[in-house]
Amino acid sequence: MKKIHIHSSCSISIQPGFQEDYFFEEIAEYAENGIHAIDPDYKEFIAALQLRRMGKSMRMAVYASQKAIQNAGNPKIDAVITGTGEGCLRDSEKFVEAMWDNDGGMLNPTPFIQSTHNMAAATVALALGCKGYNMTYTNNSNSFESAVLDAILYLNENPEEMILIGGLDEISEKTLEFWNSVGYVNSNNPKIPIDFKSKSIGEVNSEGAGFFVASAEKKENSLGSISAVKTQLEVEDPEEFILEFLEENGISVSEIDVVILGNNGDSRYDGIYNDLSETVFREIPQMIYKNLFGEFDTVISIAVEIGLKIFKFQRIPFALKLNNSIKENYQKILIYNQRRNKNHSLILLEK
Amino acid sequence: MSTLKQELKEKIITQLNLEDITIEDLQDDTPLFGDGLGLDSIDALELIVLLDKQYGIKLADPKEGRKVFETIQTMADYIEANRTK
Amino acid sequence: MNRKPIAITGMGIISAIGNNLAENEASLLESRHGIRKYSVKDPLIHQEKLVGEILKPNEEFYSELNLNPNEAFTRSALLGLTAAKEAVQSANLDLNDGRKTGFISATTVGGMDATEKYYFDFLKSEANRKFVPTQNCGIHAEQIAQILGIKDYVTTISTACSSAANAIMLGARMIKAGILDRAIVGGADSLSAFTINGFSSLMIYSDEHCHPFDDNRKGLNLGEAAAYIVLESGKSSANKEVLGYLAGYGNANDAFHQTASSDDGEGAFLAMKTALEIAGLKPEEIDYVNAHGTATPNNDFSEGKSLSRIFKSVPDFSSTKTFTGHTLAAAGAVEAVFSLLALKNQKVFANLNWKTPMKEFDLKPQTEIKSKEIRTVLSNSLGFGGNCSCLIFVK
Repeated sequence: MKKIHIHSSCSISIQPGFQEDYFFEEIAEYAENGIHAIDPDYKEFIAALQLRRMGKSMRMAVYASQKAIQNAGNPKIDAVITGTGEGCLRDSEKFVEAMWDNDGGMLNPTPFIQSTHNMAAATVALALGCKGYNMTYTNNSNSFESAVLDAILYLNENPEEMILIGGLDEISEKTLEFWNSVGYVNSNNPKIPIDFKSKSIGEVNSEGAGFFVASAEKKENSLGSISAVKTQLEVEDPEEFILEFLEENGISVSEIDVVILGNNGDSRYDGIYNDLSETVFREIPQMIYKNLFGEFDTVISIAVEIGLKIFKFQRIPFALKLNNSIKENYQKILIYNQRRNKNHSLILLEK
Repeated sequence: MSTLKQELKEKIITQLNLEDITIEDLQDDTPLFGDGLGLDSIDALELIVLLDKQYGIKLADPKEGRKVFETIQTMADYIEANRTK
Repeated sequence: MNRKPIAITGMGIISAIGNNLAENEASLLESRHGIRKYSVKDPLIHQEKLVGEILKPNEEFYSELNLNPNEAFTRSALLGLTAAKEAVQSANLDLNDGRKTGFISATTVGGMDATEKYYFDFLKSEANRKFVPTQNCGIHAEQIAQILGIKDYVTTISTACSSAANAIMLGARMIKAGILDRAIVGGADSLSAFTINGFSSLMIYSDEHCHPFDDNRKGLNLGEAAAYIVLESGKSSANKEVLGYLAGYGNANDAFHQTASSDDGEGAFLAMKTALEIAGLKPEEIDYVNAHGTATPNNDFSEGKSLSRIFKSVPDFSSTKTFTGHTLAAAGAVEAVFSLLALKNQKVFANLNWKTPMKEFDLKPQTEIKSKEIRTVLSNSLGFGGNCSCLIFVK
């Protein structure tokens, strides 16, 4: 399969990533869990009449996609492919609560409509008048990777087209409480930046969206390419999984200029990353990002944007460094992720 | 009638989340749909719920709503004539 | 463009008209529908609703599927596992033979049937907390893949009513690209208070047994179902009985409104156009259209328009939702199975309850089961968010 080229991006998260040329000059800090993304001025792209109904994940998606399109010089978009692990959580909750509150009267339809998982992709298409291929993957922490795989397939099938690829997820207080009751959440001492030395149990949960304009053709101002993606639900030997992937793509570990790992502060599962840091990735620059962005199913879309920014600025931000290795030149970036030891994934970026 | 219209404007702004619109913006004869306020079919359903919950009026057929929801005035007239609450 | 049709070597289904493929087939052939008053006494549902219900409680599924009663499987997962198992068995798949196998599922309800029940209980007691992790869409696919032993690729699509059709399309594309040798593709959605109340709040839930494409139609009846088909590459399906081929597929977006379909049925039109192009077929070569036909005033009008636009003369068509109800994310796969059964039996299945043609068109669905030569079947699945998908099956 031919690689695909990214021409622009925009992300919204708990860091001010949507600001022009943001590269970790300022870092937002938090001491809570269930952290809400910083809102840009949504009205820049969304009329009040549409904005009023949109839940957080939807407004993040519409803004990030429109901004990415603007950053790419406003090309016509032919397809929209997105991934979301949880969909429109808050609207789903609203409708459930309304049902419990109801004694036989009429129910407000808006939260039901807004809770449909593909509504963000649909709203993006509606805003653009885009009648092309429109897809939404909802497969936990492989949702964005599924979207990327489909995007690669799609652009190989339709090499003349320009598409949007996006990941989005929102947080909600109620669902966070549910997750906390089953031990997913760090309720003890959640902090951003995550303090890995404290060996906490549980994740620091957040939200965000990352959107990219991509096509099969490299352009003068392209930010980089996604050359390959691989995901597997369960992996017995992560090192073997990684080495196989590199071999399939004709590169050796030493040719990787930096690996972006998904350590998220949950010491029950960060061990998987730590082992790889000490073995297969021992000799190369390593970095993390969830220490600043928290965890959500599609947070890997933020990692992709960070990778593209490293291509642009040719350095690893200090706040994200995991070891002291540096390279002269950053041309190939590998992103590895797993969440609770499931949905292991690899994305290969090239300049 | 004018208190009903006032009340209706408040309720519509809240129910339909029209944050940027004030009661003063909502004239009695502003078309609510199409070229006026620009509400859509989902709003029409929300207004049907409003009629039911607040005024005890059941509109069984959403198509009936078109005439009733033309303006604040037509809504108020309809509610006056049919309210059970 | 790789136009080679993809072989289908197995199918599995459970719906209101049968617990397996043979039962579904018999019901279709006997024009026996499964729409009845909902038997479940759900405190969140305040009106009597006509639904396509699978008359089997969750406990029975647990026992039939040999599942640990202490493990959380939502109803959509149970239906999905039942149908996926049947599909794998019917295709005689040896999942340890080294061939790259994917599981691509679809759902909209996900674990909502459990979440809505236990929403206020989760924090109070531990009793049902095991259903917290099963709330979202993706978990059912993980569970099914783990139990069946499908390892190479697992994902879930959720695009409302076109979901399973899109899952089928992705499977075919991945096989054509050589990423997979075979894929088990389809979807599952159980009934839930969430969806029943949701469609009622949109005032499109009929209090009668639905009549698609009828001028007096009042809306849909929901149903629950799961269905999967097994797609295999040419090499993988060599020396196997092939049930039919997926020759064409297309997805397009209406981009008109969040829930309503456009008056000119543009999304559906584009999806059908793409599917025909990929299949290398002209519209007049389609022998039977299994329509989306939910019986909502809006869908049937919009879909009717799109059919009139793409076909000079609309071929025999019917909506089988009068049998199963609208099974949401599973519909695309349920109707894929029904399309393959139409090819097998050389029958157009009935569009029940039809009396009066829609004022706007000269369109009459096939109201009784009809025998004819069928080489090609086109199946539409049109979802909220303007998501329109079309699949074309050939003998």
